[in-house]
Amino acid sequence: MRDTVLLHKTGPQIAQELQACIGCNECLLACPALAEPIRIDVLNRETFSGPISAPVARYARACYQCGACVAPCPVGLHRDAMMMWLKVRLLRSGQGE
Amino acid sequence: MHLSYRETKTESQQGEKGYSWLFFSAGRPWLVALLVTLLLLALSVAFFVWYLHHSSDLSSDSIAGYAYAISGTICLVLAATLYSVRRRSRRRAVGQLNAALNWHVFLGILGIALLFMHSFGNFNPRTGTYALYGMIALVISGFVGRTLDRIMPRLIAGEVRKALTEQGDDRIEHISQKLQSIVVHNNERVQAFSAGSPAAAKSLVPVPFEPTKQSLNTPWDLAYISLEATPQELSAEAPQYRFIPDKKSNLARPGALMPGAQEHISELERVQQAMRREQFYRYIIRYWRLFHVALALLTVGLTIWHIVYAAQLLIPTFLH
Repeated sequence: MRDTVLLHKTGPQIAQELQACIGCNECLLACPALAEPIRIDVLNRETFSGPISAPVARYARACYQCGACVAPCPVGLHRDAMMMWLKVRLLRSGQGE
Repeated sequence: MHLSYRETKTESQQGEKGYSWLFFSAGRPWLVALLVTLLLLALSVAFFVWYLHHSSDLSSDSIAGYAYAISGTICLVLAATLYSVRRRSRRRAVGQLNAALNWHVFLGILGIALLFMHSFGNFNPRTGTYALYGMIALVISGFVGRTLDRIMPRLIAGEVRKALTEQGDDRIEHISQKLQSIVVHNNERVQAFSAGSPAAAKSLVPVPFEPTKQSLNTPWDLAYISLEATPQELSAEAPQYRFIPDKKSNLARPGALMPGAQEHISELERVQQAMRREQFYRYIIRYWRLFHVALALLTVGLTIWHIVYAAQLLIPTFLH
């Protein structure tokens, strides 16, 4: 079976995934890019909209989309897609200056 | 909880912003790993320099050579196993895997440096040299992989930005809706035109094929020429409205009869290209990791070959 890569998700899909997150922290425990403690509720809140704090921004930049966070999620969410959304937000905010 | 993506200017001004290519953030675990590695490396190099000046046995199978071989192999084994074990471990804390990844990188660098010293500049085409080449390729592939890990996600973010609207919706769907609205608008215009002019409507609406009796009554004799007008002659004489723009006219340009459609189609192609590139970059991240693992397995094989070869020489020496 050919394993295809999953492309990005749209805003409504990201919102849906964030709403479905049960906050078990499994994705953050499985992440090799996360160097400092970040609470999942803070990450979820800052992922979609509003100001992005420095630790979350550092984490978003450090995320290298390895997908290690996807398999451990008990509700089948795609944290990598959420992190990509955060990256795009950072990119937009930087170029919009 | 209801989420809506409405980022105001004030909100974006408050928090962190920007995604620089040269972002760098070193946490405490990274600095600790770096300092320990530099310390061990400095001690190893200092001993190597001292040994060069105080010993005549400068070979890989000297006591110092074995010490470097064993310590270098231990470093590489730890680099390979610690990270893999930590990834599969059930007992984890946030940030531990990142620390393990830092040690994976630094132990790899330390291991290759120690094995270089173990060679004492002897690069004869033997098993040890092949194992060393394998390790060099492995460490280089690790460096390239870490560089790709920084570059590729940034490139993907750029492509995703093109594929999404400012509101975060799918741009392809957005363009398709615009194209659909253009088609609907044009259809409405055509219908309005048809309703306004019955003659024009007759020319624009396709005429269904109606077999006439004349065609059935056509005599079999091909030499027979009727003086009556043929259906083609009749239709040629009927009033027809055909819109043929002048070649120099702006209306002769492609897409002129569907204003805005060509721009949307070009935009659609650009978005599709961005999505293809996004997929390509994701494949690079994925397959480079697989390549690194494959290279690690090859290097393990070459190292085992070298150890078996060295053991065949050493065991008889120790036994006698």
